[in-house]
Amino acid sequence: MKNMLFFMGKGGVGKSTLSSTVAGQLSIEGFKVLIVSLDPAHNLGDIFEIQLGDERTRIRESLDAIEIDLQKWVKMYLKKSRDEIISNYNYNLSINLDSYINILKYSPGTEEYAVLWAIESLYDRFHEEYDYILFDTPPTALTLRFLAMPSITRLWVKELSGMREKILRKRQTLTRLNPEASVLKGARSTEDDKVSRHLGTISHRLEKLYHLFTEKSYVTIVVNNDKLSLAESVRIGEELEKLKITLNSLCLNKIESVEDDHKEIHSAFSGFPIFKFPVMKEGIRSVKQLNDFKTRDLINHILLKEKKP
Amino acid sequence: MKKVWRVVDQVQRDKATGMLEFEIKELENIFVLLLYGSFVGLPSPPTAMAFELMPYMEEEIKLMISRADLAQDPLGALLGMLEID
Repeated sequence: MKNMLFFMGKGGVGKSTLSSTVAGQLSIEGFKVLIVSLDPAHNLGDIFEIQLGDERTRIRESLDAIEIDLQKWVKMYLKKSRDEIISNYNYNLSINLDSYINILKYSPGTEEYAVLWAIESLYDRFHEEYDYILFDTPPTALTLRFLAMPSITRLWVKELSGMREKILRKRQTLTRLNPEASVLKGARSTEDDKVSRHLGTISHRLEKLYHLFTEKSYVTIVVNNDKLSLAESVRIGEELEKLKITLNSLCLNKIESVEDDHKEIHSAFSGFPIFKFPVMKEGIRSVKQLNDFKTRDLINHILLKEKKP
Repeated sequence: MKKVWRVVDQVQRDKATGMLEFEIKELENIFVLLLYGSFVGLPSPPTAMAFELMPYMEEEIKLMISRADLAQDPLGALLGMLEID
């Protein structure tokens, strides 16, 4: 069953609007839906005209929303590691670690990890309760980086685990031959070795996320009829292909008329279903206007994919 | 007499396993370099992963630092290992 929905695309193409519309429609049809904004510059709350936060807020029956507070996730994650360092290192910590660890907030990759763990934790907590979890994604660069993170880190974990295994085997041999040897420090079997165990845990979590992205997600790119957003969508499509994440459809938003042929977009994404949504001349001004979006075809496609994964 | 025997035994064992010990040390050193190479300017794995493993790497990090000291004289270390005077 595909129960995570990702709306990707260039900034300003209408990801939040479309994802909230789809979320609304699905909930009207009787599905339990959770919509999550991963964008640090949230605007889901503005669309639904309600104050949202890091905890679930009910929009209406069967529809809840969350705006993820990335900084909070980064802090939580750093605190966990800090506690672990304090409990594992031999010497007494009389200095204050916090100030040093705080700098890691700015290290490359931390934000992507925070998004990943947020998605993982939301999925674990809510996938049984909801039929669909919709993700309104942050800007393309961050989205692609966090989607790529499981595959990249998997490679590292694989290499490091192999090497660790080799070290442990040699330590075992040395223990048999010369138990007093000075280099014999630390664990000798995989079960006792905390590093191996932790590598195993990381690898397990990444496998799960990789599986979620590749098997359980419906991914759609929102695009406008202009050169820049099309170019960026093509790049997203290529990146997704490299990551082996299936792109399910394309949403052509803000167009003058659904009757136009939009040749460029059709040729760039031939073979993908393209759903068209006409522009709202005066922009979205109230939550009721979301009903004006005709998302029937897109929703049918999502429901169909769910039946035939 | 027993004590003497134990010392002799240990010396022989140390001699026999010298190469293996050297190999383990090197492997451990490469492992920690792969993880924390960013300290010395090598490309590193995703920071978050290295950071998560850090709590368990005390001994290895010590080793990396001591190896960095020896790095000034790698040939000497190798000759010492092979017992060439």
